[in-house]
Order: sequence, then C-alpha cells, then structure tokens
Amino acid sequence: MFDRDEDVLDRVIDQLRQPVEMDPTLDTAVMTRVAAGGERLGRLAAVWDWAWRPREISVSPLAGLGLAAAVVGIVVWLAGRNPQVASPAAGPNTVQFVVVAPGAASVSLVGDFNDWDGGATPMQAAKSGALWSVTVPLTPGRYRYAFLVNGSRWLADPAAPRVQDDYDAPSSVVTVGG
Amino acid sequence: MHCSRWLAMLPLAGALLILRPSTAAAQDPRLERRLDPATLESVTATIDSARLQGLPVEALVQRALEGAAKHAAPAQIAAAVRRLAMELATARQALGSVSSPMELEAAAGALRAGVRPADLTRLRHRRTQSLTVALATLADLVASGVPPDSAAAAVIALAASAGDDQMADFRRAVERDIALGAPPAVAAAVRVDAALRQTPGASSRRP
Amino acid sequence: MTSDAEIVRRVREGDTAAFAVLVARYRDRLGRYAVHMLGDRSDAEEALQDAFVRAYRSLARCREDGQFGPWLFGILVNRCRTAGRRAARRHRMFVRDEVSLERASAPETSDRAEWDDTVRWAMERLAPPLREAFLLKHVEDMEYEEMSRLTGTGVSALKMRVMRAREQLRALLTEVERV
Repeated sequence: MFDRDEDVLDRVIDQLRQPVEMDPTLDTAVMTRVAAGGERLGRLAAVWDWAWRPREISVSPLAGLGLAAAVVGIVVWLAGRNPQVASPAAGPNTVQFVVVAPGAASVSLVGDFNDWDGGATPMQAAKSGALWSVTVPLTPGRYRYAFLVNGSRWLADPAAPRVQDDYDAPSSVVTVGG
Repeated sequence: MHCSRWLAMLPLAGALLILRPSTAAAQDPRLERRLDPATLESVTATIDSARLQGLPVEALVQRALEGAAKHAAPAQIAAAVRRLAMELATARQALGSVSSPMELEAAAGALRAGVRPADLTRLRHRRTQSLTVALATLADLVASGVPPDSAAAAVIALAASAGDDQMADFRRAVERDIALGAPPAVAAAVRVDAALRQTPGASSRRP
Repeated sequence: MTSDAEIVRRVREGDTAAFAVLVARYRDRLGRYAVHMLGDRSDAEEALQDAFVRAYRSLARCREDGQFGPWLFGILVNRCRTAGRRAARRHRMFVRDEVSLERASAPETSDRAEWDDTVRWAMERLAPPLREAFLLKHVEDMEYEEMSRLTGTGVSALKMRVMRAREQLRALLTEVERV
C-alpha cells in the first residue's frame, strides 16, 4: 500500500493539510448565539473604552463590570490515557480494541479472555476497511492479547504495552481496573 | 530410572493417591481440544503439580492455549507452561502462602518483567491491602519502559499510603509523562514524589 | 476583500451582523484544526462554535490591527483543550459511527478513505500536548515562537513535543505497514 521510499510522515502531514469543510449551518448557530447577546457587545466596548480612556460619564461601574464577563479559565491539561482501556461510555468494564489493518480480509481479537480462540471474537471493519474494532466486557484483571490478521498473522497492539512473549509472536497486555 | 528419582517422586505419588482419581486424571477440555496428546500430557502434569502446590492454574491453561493458537512447537508450549508455573511458585514464596490467585498471577507478570522476588516481599510488607493492583501497576510500568528497579522502588514507596485508585492514577501519569518525552525512570521518580506529597500521612522517605 | 480589522471595527461599533463575515472566513480553516485535534467532528463543531462566540464577546480585547486570526486561533486552541479534557473523562472511544466516518472522509478514492482512517487513528494515539504541537507546527505552519505565545509553553518543550509526536507516529504507522 505504501511507497517504502516515501517518508510516512509526509503522507500524514499531506493528509492533515487537506481542506476540511465544516457544516455551513454552524455560521447560523454562531450568529444566533451572538444575536442573543448582541446588545451586550455595545456595552462591553463602551466599558472597555471607559476603563482605558477615562471620561466624565456617570455610569455604574458595577453594572458595566458585571457585563464584562471575562471568563478566565485555568486550563488543566490532562492527557488522556490510552483510550482503549475504557469503561463508562458503553457500560462498566467494557473495553474497545481498535487496530488499523488496511487490506485485511479478517481480523480477530485473541487473548486470555477468550481462551485464545481465533474465531471467538471477530472484529468489525469500518466502511473504509482500514479500521477494525470490537468491544468486549472484561472483569477486572490483566489480560494478554493480540490481533490475528487473515487467520495467520499475529499483530501486537502498537498502542498498548508489550509483554515478553514465549512463542515468537507478539502480545500486548491490557489492565482493566476494578 | 535411578533410585533417587523414584524417591523424589514419592511425595507426588503420595499426593496423587490422596486425591480422588478423577481429580488427578481430570484434564481441562479446552486443552484436550487444542493440544496434541504428547503436549497435553506434559502440560497437564505441570498443571496438576501446580494445583497440588495450591497455585492458580487458570493462567497456566491460558498460556498453553496461547501456544496452541500461535501454532507453537510442543516443546515450546510445555516449556512456557513450566516457566509460568515456576514464576507462580516464586511469586508465592515471595508474597506468602495467603496470597490470592490474582495476586500471584500479577506477581508472576512482574517477575517476568524483571522485578526481583525480594522487591515483591518488600511490597507485601509495606501494604496491608490486596496487592493485585499494585503488582499490575508494577508490571505495567516496566512494560512501559521504566527499569524494574525504579518501578519497584516507586510502587513500594506508594504502597503504604496509596489506594488502588491512586496507584492507577500514578501509572497513568507516568505513562503520560513518558509519552511526552520524559525518561521512564525520571518520570516514575517525579510522579512518586508528587504523589507522596499529595497523600496525607504518607512518609516522604523513600526506601 | 474587506480586512479583518475593518470588520472588527464595524462589529465593535454595533454592526453585529458583520461578524458573520469573519465566521464564514475562518470556519473551515479553524475547523480543520479542531477536527484533527479532537478527532470527532461534532466535538470540533461545538468547540469551534464556542470559540467564535467567545471571540465575539471579548472582541473589545482584540485591539491590534491584523491580529484577529491568530487571536481567534488562540481561543480555539484553548477550547479544544477543554473539550479534550471532557472527552478524556468520558473515556470516549475512537471509532465513530458510520455517518460521521462518511462525513469526515474526503470523498475520493477508497485508498484516500483508508488513509484518512489510519491517520485519524494514529493522531488519536498521541497524547494531546504532542498532537497539539504537531498540528500547529506541521499543519498550521507556525513558527515555534508563535506557538509558544499561543500555548504558553516554552520553545524547547514544544520542539521536543513535535519530535516525540513524529517518532510515535512513525512507530505506529510502520507497524501498520507490515500487515
């Protein structure tokens, strides 16, 4: 699928730079909200001017400042955990596994939770065929697993920790909290 | 066979006699379906021995099934199951005989990752509650690249004061820092200090 | 074309409707950043809407001519951080429903659609600070000094984040190539 000589990052950047068309009804949604607070903008500008260029105007500063709702957010950056190991969106201890395997005819999830049965947990391909996923309920514990592509090729999860393997085929591990 | 080997087998033979025949001979149907007879016999012997010692056997069954799924050679499957059985036994020796099956399985994972048995013992002495999450945290940290000694030191430092949720938070924070470029050992050390400062009543003295 | 500064002046003088010109002008370009940063089109639309409304309400603070675009962008970057934090708490999963996948993919060859999915998956795997730095540098073509002003993070930290993002993307996508 890929030209081996081409830097894969160039392809990523090229893809990300493609124009994205947002829904033009967003404009209407914005302007509706803007119009709802439209009158305030005139007063906001006036308050700002008053603050910076004092003039002899009798205006209640409290009323003006009350309208100047400058929200100062202290942004706490919380990088998300690997989103695989999940829970509450779909139910308690439900974990979704995702892998990209373009061109695969079949992908299944195989691990300690399904007795390493290659046919027990087939994954579903998204429409494009590149992205495969499945959601499984897991009781708390630590599970070794891997993806089986086309019934014969083992793929570790590139987004999960690897474990030392006994069998010359890669495995990953997922810890489900209790 | 030499005399000494017969003598060594006596305790096992005695144990087998005490058990009901069906227990000793019972084979897991999952293994029966998936392993060839020779591998089945070898793996079953290891599993039975482990069961006699009071070790959890489900992990051994899964390790054998993994080998079957990956079409590993019979000798490889047998060796892998024996190795895991030894790790479970070592884990029980390090953690004590009252350890739960989940604790032993998590500890075996930590041992496989390179954590020393002595560190498991230290962890047991430092933490009164279940060790399962702490041990899983330890193994996951090593899997993320934290050197085993650093991971063990970090988890032991938190063992007395951090609950299971805080252990999980700590692991996530370290993994996030590693993803952002921090050297793994440094990430673990920094997060331990931060966690100890936040936990009321925690000692800031690290072992 | 009427300049941003001229439109800002009109809006501040009370011509609210003129703000719609700025919205239309910046919608798609900022939307592109939000979609890639949040990985979800509806979250991106919400963050974008939020950013525009906040920009309108604090327009009095945008005082320098010609700086509306970068200033608006800074608001969006912060909106995306907040949205990302909310999403992480919800433990959202990556896979979108079929409808949003269709909308999000470029309507071209199936190869393009596959690669689109692949790139989005890989970007989702990056920790948000790495993803943010990578997008600002390589997609928005910002200089590090500008990124530093926008994010409040030092230049050397940003350079390290971009480097780590590149390493991780390479590692993720090389694995995929071997399938």
